[in-house]
Amino acid sequence: MAASPATVPERPRPRLPATARRVASGMAVPVGSVVLAFVIGALIVLATGGDPLAAYQGLLCGGLGAFCTQGENPALQVSSTIVFTIPLIMAGMAVALPFRAGLFNIGAEGQFLAGAIACTTIGIHLGTLPAPILLPLVLLGGMAAGALWAGIAGVLKATVGAHEVVTTIMLNYVAQWLLRYLIIGGPLQLASGTSKSSPIGAGARLATLLPNDNNLVIFGLPSSVYRVHSGLLIALLAAAVFAFLLWRTTLGYEIRAVGQSQKAARYAGVSVRRTIIVTMLIAGAFSGLAGAIQIAGIDHNLTDKYFSDTTGFDAIAVALLGLGSAVGIVLASILFGALHSGSGVMQADAGISSSLVLVLQALILFSIAANFLGAIRLRLPGLGRAPAARPPDSPAAALMTEAAAPPPEGSPSAT
Amino acid sequence: MSATAPANAVEMRGITKAFPGVVANNKVDFTVRAGEIHALVGENGAGKTTLMNVLYGLVHMDEGEILIDGKPVHIGGPRDAIGKGIGMVHQHFMLIPVFTVGENVMLGREPVTGPGFYNRVRAREEIAELTRKYGLALDPDARMADLPVGLQQRAEIVKVLYRGANILILDEPTGVLTPQESKELFGVLRDLVKTGKTIIFISHKLREVLEISDRITVMRRGNVVGHLVTKDTNEQEIATQMVGRAVLLRVDKKPAKPGPVTFKVEDLTASSDRGVPALKGVSFELRQGEILGIAGVEGNGQSELVEVLAGTRRATGGRVLLGDKNVTTFDARTERDAGIAFIPEDRRGAGLVLSYSVADNLILGRQRTPAFAWRELVLRLVAIRDWARRLVKEFDIRTPSIETAARNLSGGNQQKIIVAREMASRPRVLLAAQPTRGVDIGAIEFIHRRIVAERDEGTAILLVSAELDEVRSLSDRIAVIYEGKIVSIEPGDAPEERLGLLMTGGGSARG
Repeated sequence: MAASPATVPERPRPRLPATARRVASGMAVPVGSVVLAFVIGALIVLATGGDPLAAYQGLLCGGLGAFCTQGENPALQVSSTIVFTIPLIMAGMAVALPFRAGLFNIGAEGQFLAGAIACTTIGIHLGTLPAPILLPLVLLGGMAAGALWAGIAGVLKATVGAHEVVTTIMLNYVAQWLLRYLIIGGPLQLASGTSKSSPIGAGARLATLLPNDNNLVIFGLPSSVYRVHSGLLIALLAAAVFAFLLWRTTLGYEIRAVGQSQKAARYAGVSVRRTIIVTMLIAGAFSGLAGAIQIAGIDHNLTDKYFSDTTGFDAIAVALLGLGSAVGIVLASILFGALHSGSGVMQADAGISSSLVLVLQALILFSIAANFLGAIRLRLPGLGRAPAARPPDSPAAALMTEAAAPPPEGSPSAT
Repeated sequence: MSATAPANAVEMRGITKAFPGVVANNKVDFTVRAGEIHALVGENGAGKTTLMNVLYGLVHMDEGEILIDGKPVHIGGPRDAIGKGIGMVHQHFMLIPVFTVGENVMLGREPVTGPGFYNRVRAREEIAELTRKYGLALDPDARMADLPVGLQQRAEIVKVLYRGANILILDEPTGVLTPQESKELFGVLRDLVKTGKTIIFISHKLREVLEISDRITVMRRGNVVGHLVTKDTNEQEIATQMVGRAVLLRVDKKPAKPGPVTFKVEDLTASSDRGVPALKGVSFELRQGEILGIAGVEGNGQSELVEVLAGTRRATGGRVLLGDKNVTTFDARTERDAGIAFIPEDRRGAGLVLSYSVADNLILGRQRTPAFAWRELVLRLVAIRDWARRLVKEFDIRTPSIETAARNLSGGNQQKIIVAREMASRPRVLLAAQPTRGVDIGAIEFIHRRIVAERDEGTAILLVSAELDEVRSLSDRIAVIYEGKIVSIEPGDAPEERLGLLMTGGGSARG
C-alpha cells in the first residue's frame, strides 16, 4: 500500500484497533460528563434529604421503562421518551452544523418556534387540502421558516459581521413574542380568552406509528395512547442527511474547512460568506422542521406551552454532548428525552422535584463546557492517555502516536 | 567575569528523555565551555529543543545528570534554571505588545517603592545600565508593539540578562529576522561573549552556524552524532551529519529554456491589511519554463503581491494577464481553474486545514473539480483516496497513512502535501511563496528539485522567498522588490552584495 510508513521505525503495537481506541477516547468526555452530573445530582438529592437511588430509579422507569415499581407501563414510558427525543435530534443538528463552521447557533429555539408557527399557519389556512399535499407543505413551510429565521443571522454575520450569538438570541425573543401575539389576540387565536391557536387540518397531521385504535391493545394499553409518531423516521432521516452532508459532500467539506481555518478555506477558493449563510440556512431548516413536526405530530395547534419550550436550548447541550456527530446527537437526544420523560415518574414515585432533571442537564452541559475531565486528566497523567504529556515541540512524537494506527479500511482497488 | 581556563559552563551527561512512542533524547552528552558560542544543530524533531527544555527545566529528563559550572544541579523547573543563571530566548517571543520595553523587561521582577508601587525611574535606570553594559541600544519607554522584530528580540535578550542569566539559550533566533537584523544580532552575541556570557545557539541554518559559533554539536533522531569545531568544518560536513547521508546543498539545474510570456503583471497596486498602499505599481513578465525569483526584505509587499495574484486580496489597480485572459479580479477558485497554482507562505494557516487528513488536504481547493466531486456536490471518496495514495508515493510524503491528520506530520511533510497538490494539477503558472520555510534539509532538497523539474516541464514559476540563498540558487531571473515596487530585475547569477544593496533601497536599477 502506497501510504505504508516505511520510514517510521519500530512503532509500538497498538493494543486496540485504532477506530475502537478513537471512539473510546472520543466517548470519554461525554460519558464522563454524564456520570459526573449524575454523581453530583445524587449528592444534591442526598443533601436535601432525598433518596438518590429512588430518584434515579424513578428516572430509569420514566425514561427507559426499566425498574418500575408503581405499575407504570414501560412501553408507554419508552413511547414518551421517543416523543421527547424526536425534536431534539433535529434541533441538535441545527446547533451542531454551525459548530462545524465555527458558528455558535444559540437560536435553535427561535428557529424551532418559527417552524412551528409556519406549520400551524399553513395547517390552518390550507386545512382542507388532502394529506399527501398538505403534510409535505407544512413540513417544508416549517423548514423554510426556520431557515429564514437562522438565515437572518447568517446574512448579518456574513455581511456586516454581526455576531451570530447575539443575533440568534435576539431572534429567539422575536419568535417568542411573535408567537405570543399570534395566539393571544392575534390572527391565530382560537377564541378570545384562550391562549392557543385553532387546530391544524387533519391532512397536516403526522400519523402515529401505532394505529390510532382504542380497541387494539398493545403492551396492555389501547394503542391510541402511544403518541410516538412518524416524525421519528423523519428525524432519523434528518440525522442521516446531516452525516452525509457533513462528510460526503463538497459543501460539508467546505463547511468544515471554514470552521477550522477561514484563511485556508479562502485560499481553497471557498467563499466564506456564502458558506456561513448556507450553513445557517440549513441549520435553521433542521430546527424549523423540528418545530413543524412537533405541531404536526403531537400538539396539532400552538398553545401557551410553547412560551416555555426549551427544545432549542436543550439542543445546544445535545449537540455538545453528541460531539457534533449524527450518531452522538441521536444518543444524546435519547438521553435528554429520557430525562425529560422520566422526571414526572421520579416526582410521582420518589417525591423528588422534577426540577432535578434540569439540574442534571445543566450539570452535564457545564461539565462538558468546562471540560472538567480534561482538566482532571491534565493534573493526573496516570489517568488515560494524557495528551498533555505530548511535548509540543516534538512533531515526531505526535507522528509516532498516530503511527500506531494501522492503515485505514481495505484497499478499494480490488473493484 | 568568567574563569580564564575554558571550564565547562554546562555539562549534560547521558540525558535520556522518552515521550510516548519516541525517544527524543537518547543518552545525550552535551558540553558547552564557558564563554563560547555553541551551536546545537539538527533537523526538526532531532531532539534539540527537548534537550534545551530539559536544561531550562521545562521538561524532566528520565535519566542523566546536569552540571553547571562543574557542579551537579537539580533543575525542577524554569525557576531553578533561572536561579542557576540559565536564560532562554524562545523562538516565539514572550512579550506583552502593549507594554513598554521597560515594563516587559521588568515583568515579574518590578522594582517597587513602598507598598508595591512600580518604580518607573529605577526601572529605567536599571535597563539603561544593562543596555549600556552590553551595548544593546534600546529605548525603555518604547511600546513593544511599535518595535521591529529585531528590537523585540533584543528586548527578550535584555529581559533574560536582567534576570541574571550567564548562559543564554537562543532557540532559532534568526528565523524571524531580516539579514540585517541577523547581522546585528550576531554583533550583540559576540559582545555578550566578551563580557563572559555563554551562548547556546539552536539553529538549522548552516551558514549562520558557521559564521557565529565556536563549536557545534549535531543531533539526529535523538542522538548526538557529531562534535565539530567550527573553524575546521564546512557546510557540507554538518549537513551530512544532520541528515545522515550526503546532501546536495546546491541546486542542480540546467540553463532555462524560456518559452513565450504566459503571465503578465502590469502596474499592479494593492493595499495592506491596514489599508496603506503595499504595492505601488508592480510590473513583470513571466515566461514559460523559467523561474522568476522575488527577492526582498520581508514586509516590502511580497505577501500582498502573492495574495493578489492568488486571488485572496483585491487589487486596487493594474492588471494581471494569464495568456490573453485578464485574471485580475479572479478569486482563488477561478484562478485555479484557469491554471494558476499557489503555494502560500503561511503553510499551517493558509495552505492546509491541519485537522483534515492528508487525503482531504490533497484536494483542498480542488474539492469541486469533476475528478473529486460528482456534479460539484458529492465527494468521490474512492477517487480521492487513489489520488492521495498516488501523490503520497510520488512526492514521498512521509505519513503513517493518508487518513492521518496533517497536524501530525513534520513541517517538511506538511509542505510536501501542498507542493504535491499544487504541482499535480499541472498548472501553467505556479506561485511559490516561501516554499521551504521551516522545512528540514531533506525536504528542502526535494522541493527544490521538484520546482526545477516543474520549470523544465514548461511551467512558469514565480518564487518569493525571504532566503536570498534560495532565490539565488533557483531563479533564472531575480526581481528585487523594495517598498512595494520592483526596483530592478537582475540576472539569476547577480552577486549577493548587489541584491542586498537593492533590497535595502540602495544601488541603481539595471538599464
